[in-house]
Amino acid sequence: MKKVVISSVFTALLVLSGCGDKDPQVEATDSAATQEVSSKPVQTVSNNNGSVASDSTESTSEAMARLEKELKAIYFDFDKFNIKADMQGNLSADAGVVNTKAKMFFVKLEGNCDEWGSDEYNFALGLKRADTVKKALIAEGVDTSRISMVSFGESNPACADKTKECWAQNRRVDFKLLP
Amino acid sequence: MKIIISILLVIVSLFANDATIDVVKKADSLPSIAVEDSSVSYDQTFKSKFFKALVADLNVLSIFNVDRNHRTAQYDAGSVLVENKDMNYVLRYKLSEDNSRALNVEIKIISKDDVVLTKNYKVKTSDIYMFVAHTIAFDINEFMGESPVEWMKRKVIFSKMTDSQKSELVVSDYTLTYQYVVVKGGFNVFPKWANKEQSAFYYSSLDGKKPTLKYVDTKTGKSQVMMSSDGMMICSDVNEDGSKLLLTMAPKGQPDIYIYDVKTKNTKILTNYGGIDVGAQFMEKDKIAFVSDRLGYPNIFSLNMSSGSVEQVVHYGKSNAACSVFGKYIVYKARESSDAFGNNTFNLHLVSTETDFIRRLTAVGVNEFPRFSVDGDAIIFIKNYQSQSSIGIIRLNHNKNYLFPLKNGKIQSMDW
Repeated sequence: MKKVVISSVFTALLVLSGCGDKDPQVEATDSAATQEVSSKPVQTVSNNNGSVASDSTESTSEAMARLEKELKAIYFDFDKFNIKADMQGNLSADAGVVNTKAKMFFVKLEGNCDEWGSDEYNFALGLKRADTVKKALIAEGVDTSRISMVSFGESNPACADKTKECWAQNRRVDFKLLP
Repeated sequence: MKIIISILLVIVSLFANDATIDVVKKADSLPSIAVEDSSVSYDQTFKSKFFKALVADLNVLSIFNVDRNHRTAQYDAGSVLVENKDMNYVLRYKLSEDNSRALNVEIKIISKDDVVLTKNYKVKTSDIYMFVAHTIAFDINEFMGESPVEWMKRKVIFSKMTDSQKSELVVSDYTLTYQYVVVKGGFNVFPKWANKEQSAFYYSSLDGKKPTLKYVDTKTGKSQVMMSSDGMMICSDVNEDGSKLLLTMAPKGQPDIYIYDVKTKNTKILTNYGGIDVGAQFMEKDKIAFVSDRLGYPNIFSLNMSSGSVEQVVHYGKSNAACSVFGKYIVYKARESSDAFGNNTFNLHLVSTETDFIRRLTAVGVNEFPRFSVDGDAIIFIKNYQSQSSIGIIRLNHNKNYLFPLKNGKIQSMDW
């Protein structure tokens, strides 16, 4: 190692050598941005909730909540998205509710997975499950325009224990009603 | 004899730059370094935090045997402490707070009683001290003539699950020491930096009727909706100049890969297989790597965007569900056991598109979401092990892994 004294004194408000006058400034700006950005989703969420409450009657919200309880989740095998024979009964019952009591509402199918992986593939698996249920509902006479889908991957567990039974509860499609 | 040595040298040089081959350096052969604290301001807690951050950074450099003893010394003392006399290097630093409450840091490196490097740093507030520590480590690495560690100064953005369907988007340094929440409230996942400068990012919002891709400029704080898709809407990768995005969308319930032109706002579908195609990453010109279950299980494939030809690029692993690409290298996540209910292990592996070597990078736990650093020098990943979520750093050329645990919550996804 050369015994050379390399000296450089930074007098500005900088951390980085060479190209460094950005980071502290970015930090400061980001902090300001944080407040603005972080406030937006909160406002959006509360606005949505507000509009639901004001645009809909109380009885409609209650009816949606009551009907959602009647809609049974569809459960799947590990790494699979085909509907099991023992889930056919649940699916027919769900289609019956959607076609009759809940016919004035839109249906949102939420695909979920167990905890093995937070990557896109797991989200896609949840979506394929939702899509299978959507196709089955269409076959039972539900109008396709009433159905939307979303996948939550592993991020919406119904059970947080580390057991087979728990993971099985998380591999599911939930029904949500939208006005 | 000379011929044999020449042949050996040629063989060594051929493989010297192949990151898929393990490089095992004996710890004993690394030069030793001790750290001496000469601070004149701040309480013991802060001094201790700064010392630990600096030692951690020096360790991550992987070029020293770092002494962990926190010793104090006079900054202007002519020689190093007696305890550090046998060290190859001594890093001495002085923290001082000025009248504007800015943190000033002076450092010097002493080798064999000679000062070989001095530098001064200053930041407005002491709460971003870890960035000073990262920068000191960066400068020392440069001084030692090692390959650049630009990634040390970059920021990590990650989605932290706080409850079912609730998450926060957090920006941090690579050790998770400094964290600030950039998007709070709602259910937001898959954040992705929009450019090299890290001045903006994309993320997927799952709160509305349809998954929606949003864009946030961190300088102005403005957020804008990019597009929505039924089922899935994720920005998987951004090209080098930020002009093109690889997206996973499912407008008809079918997850496929699309390319989006930021300027023209044109979207073009790239895959149309009936199963799952997700997680695309830009490779060399006109090529992408992606995850598909077209062979009946998730694996990594490449697609030539001009010809449309698809090729399997990974041939090891039962379930390879995520990847990251840097030049000829692909790091991917593989499930090691086929037992649906066993104690599943997911490990990261490194392959080269030019050789058949496979290098296993992790050993235990659920290791996922690998991302190459911008210079390919390191890989960052998420490790979930024994109910703890951590960010891991793999120094490829030094064959070392480092973990930085998250105090609470679970990391869902991240970008570097």
